[in-house]
Order: sequence, then structure tokens, then C-alpha cells
Amino acid sequence: MFFIALYRIFKFGFQNFWRNFWLSIVTVFILVLTLFSISVVYTLNVVADNAINAIKEKVDIDLFFDPTIPEDKIFAVQAYLESQPDVKAVEYISKEQALESFRAEHQDDPTIQESLSELTENPLPATLVVKAKALEDYSNIVVNLDNSEYSHLISSRNFEDNQVVIDRLSSITDRIYQVGIGVSLIFILVAILVVFNAIRMNIYTQREELGIMRLVGANNIFIRLPFIIESILYALLASILTILILYPLLSAVSPYINNLFEGYDFKMFSYFTANFWNILGLEIIISVVISVISSMIAIGRYLRV
Amino acid sequence: MIKLKNVSKIYSEDTVAVKNINLHIRPGEFVSIVGQSGTGKTTIARLIIAEEKPTKGKIIIGGWDITDIKNSEVPVLRRQIGVVFQDFKLLPRKTVLENIAFALEVSGAPLKKIKTIIPQVLKVVGLEGKADRFPRQLSGGEQQRVVIARSLVHRPKIILADEPTGNLDAINVREIIDLLLKINKFGTTVVLVTHNPGIVNGLKKRVITLDQGVIISDQKMGRYIL
Repeated sequence: MFFIALYRIFKFGFQNFWRNFWLSIVTVFILVLTLFSISVVYTLNVVADNAINAIKEKVDIDLFFDPTIPEDKIFAVQAYLESQPDVKAVEYISKEQALESFRAEHQDDPTIQESLSELTENPLPATLVVKAKALEDYSNIVVNLDNSEYSHLISSRNFEDNQVVIDRLSSITDRIYQVGIGVSLIFILVAILVVFNAIRMNIYTQREELGIMRLVGANNIFIRLPFIIESILYALLASILTILILYPLLSAVSPYINNLFEGYDFKMFSYFTANFWNILGLEIIISVVISVISSMIAIGRYLRV
Repeated sequence: MIKLKNVSKIYSEDTVAVKNINLHIRPGEFVSIVGQSGTGKTTIARLIIAEEKPTKGKIIIGGWDITDIKNSEVPVLRRQIGVVFQDFKLLPRKTVLENIAFALEVSGAPLKKIKTIIPQVLKVVGLEGKADRFPRQLSGGEQQRVVIARSLVHRPKIILADEPTGNLDAINVREIIDLLLKINKFGTTVVLVTHNPGIVNGLKKRVITLDQGVIISDQKMGRYIL
């Protein structure tokens, strides 16, 4: 009994969709545009978040030691820093390691390679690379170190304050995000109106059939639910179409975005493929909510039961 | 079976459809409600099927007070009253069988029940061989018989026919009236709303006459008196 009722409600819902085929197609198209704009905002957000994180990840303090300072003293500084609550990690790079990586970095530059081979002594200092737990902790670490007993051991330090760059990037991405949200809200509003109108038109074209249904004692669910099913059908089709457009597009754009993140651990398309089901689920939820809400308003307003 | 107690339907001060109607139709009766156009006959029909709610008074159908019936209860009432209108109200893209089955489908009837009932009602109305025809392939009388068949699928206790012969020629009028009499013989209460004196006078059944929204006569073996 339940299944036969469900089957008939779905059948009537599909019939509603086919009977006003072109109107249904336009409605799905508007929903696709809405979902697509939301997806673009989401993509921008993902890229911006990763850009900021990537920059944050690159921030560190390099402490250089005079060649005369023995290694055990450097290890003492390392131990001191590691004991600090703000410090996440401290990496020791010996003079030899520094030279090795310098050679590797400039292996294609014959002038540098030649100069290095002429040197009798390793000119590069030993280094401690300090990473803080949070970006705002760096200045604190520097101040503490300057006031500590180890400050005289450090010949120089390299700490570029990236906070300004990060703040600027955040403000740009926030602005893009706000504009994106605004555009998406406009599309959502248009989608609600279009679905509302599609259901209203369908109620109008079927007024005769609906009148007969009421006359012969049709259950209210047989009168109302097919229109809800119809709106869910719009939403599902729109979600699938959006994914079918979005993924090839992301795949095409991905190499350009990845270029921006060269040297960082972020591959945009991999992110989207790894989160495929979440993204599809989210698109379905958003479009179903938009469709069902607007169809319920249309049903409440125009379908007298 | 049908009781109307002091029922009035007032749309506005100037538009009073029916006023202080008191009516009692017993189970198994065949009652004609007559009157000229605009006297409130159809309003009474619409009040009985809860298409309208009375402004004043009480309406009781089979012991059920439907005066303030909830929207969710209307379908239950409609399945107890088979309704036949002048303009047939058949779906042109569905066959005779599909039109009749539709009434059962949208009430949630199982397929087995639909398959059992349809041949029975088609037999009652004499359309056994025309189940696969579309409405446009049928005469007016046959279309009205399809409507009657559809109204019978829920085995209603009441058949309410509002001008069922309005669009038919004399021969078809006779056929439809005979069919309603046949259904009445099975024990179904029939309420016939009409302004056709020929039909009413030939029936020799109870006649309720309305004039300007008021009952002016209620005769057991009545005639059309206007």
C-alpha cells in the first residue's frame, strides 16, 4: 500500500516534469547557474585558504651562528628554544648541510660552483630554523631570545615579517568572498522565484486534473507531493549537471592554480576529487532546499486542497 | 442521510445564495432539487460536498457533522459522495478505463482493487466494450456514463448529480436518468439537481423547489411547479 502510493506520487511528479518540459529545463538551468556561482565562491575560498596557509607555513626565523661557536652551544640554544611554549619546531642545519644544499640549489650556475671550489673554508654559518606554533608568536620568540643568555651567540637572524603580506592577502580574498556571496545570494533569490513560477505554472496547467482529483476524494498527498517531487527532480538534475560542468572546468584551470602554489603541498584538482562526494552532497542539499522551499510556497499559495 | 439545519450561505449583504434551508434526505431516497438558474441549487450541492462552508447552520452527512470539516477530512467525505456534473470533467488524454482508475489511484487504492472494481462499474453503466476509448470517441451520453461509473468506484452512499443532463439530447437524457434510477434501486441515495421540468415530472419522486435561495415547496411525489 505504502509503496504503491509512493510509486504513484513519483509517477505524477515525473509527469509534471515532462508535461512542461521547456519550463522544467529553464528552471534546471537557473538552478545550475546558482549552484555554479556557489561552487565558484567555494573554490575561491579553498584556494585563498590554502594560499594563506602556504604563506604561513613558509614563515620561520633563521638564526645564524658565527663559525667559531662550537656545536654544543648551538645545541644548547636549540634546547632552550624547544623549551619555549610558543615554539613548534627547531631544526639544526650544520655548516656542511648548509653548503651541500647551497651547492644543490645552484648546481646549474657554473660561476657559483667555480667560486665554491676555489674556497678553502666553508663560508656558510650553522643555522637554527625556528618555527612558531602561531604566526603572532614569532615576535615574542625573537624578544625572548634577545633577552636570554644566548643572544650573544647569534651573529645574525633572518626574520621577515609576513604578517603584512598575509593581512593584505586576507583582505583581498575576503572581499572576493563577500562579492561571491552577494552574487550567490542574488542567484539563490532568482532560483527561488523561477522554481516558484514553474510550480505555479504547472498547477495552472493542471487545474482541471487537480479539480477532478479533489472531486473524487484524492488524498492530499497525491495532490501536493507530486509537485514537491517535481521540484526535487529539478534540484537533482541541476546538481548533477553542475558537477558535470564544474569538474572538467576545474581540471582545465587546475594547472594554472597549481603553478601559483609551486613548492607548496596543494593540488587543487586532487582536493576536489578527494572531496567529490561531499561537494555533490552539498550541491544536492542546497538545491533541494531552494527548490522545496519555493515549491512549498507556490503550493501553499496556489494549490487549494 | 443528509441533514441541513437552518443553513444559509451569504457571500455579501447583496448576495445571499441560500437562506435558512432545512432539509432532511433519508437513506435510499431519490430527491430532485429544482429551481430556476441562480436560485441556490448548485450552492446546496457544493455545501453537501464541502466545496463551500455554510455561513450559518449545520450540515450533517450520514451522522457526520461536516459544518466545520477540516481540509484533511474532505477527501474522506468525497469518497462517500459520488459527484456528477454537467461538464463531465473527464481527462481527455486518458481512456475510459484510465479515467475511472484515476479516481481509485489517487485515493491510494491497491492495483488488485482497481482491477476488480472497474469491470463492475463499467457493467453497471453499460460501457463494458468501451474501456479503451478516449472521451472524444464517445457520445455525450456515454461520457456522462463514464463520469457516473467514476463516481461509483468508492461505492458511495450518495450520488449527487448537478445538472447531469444539461449537455445531452433527449435520448441520452432518458438513458442517464434511467441509470440514476437503477443506481438508486441498489440503495444509493440520489440527489438530482436540475431545472428540466420534463425529467422531474416523469420521475414521480420527491421534489424540493427553490426560489431565490429559499425552499418554497417539498413534495413527496412532486412536479415541477415553477
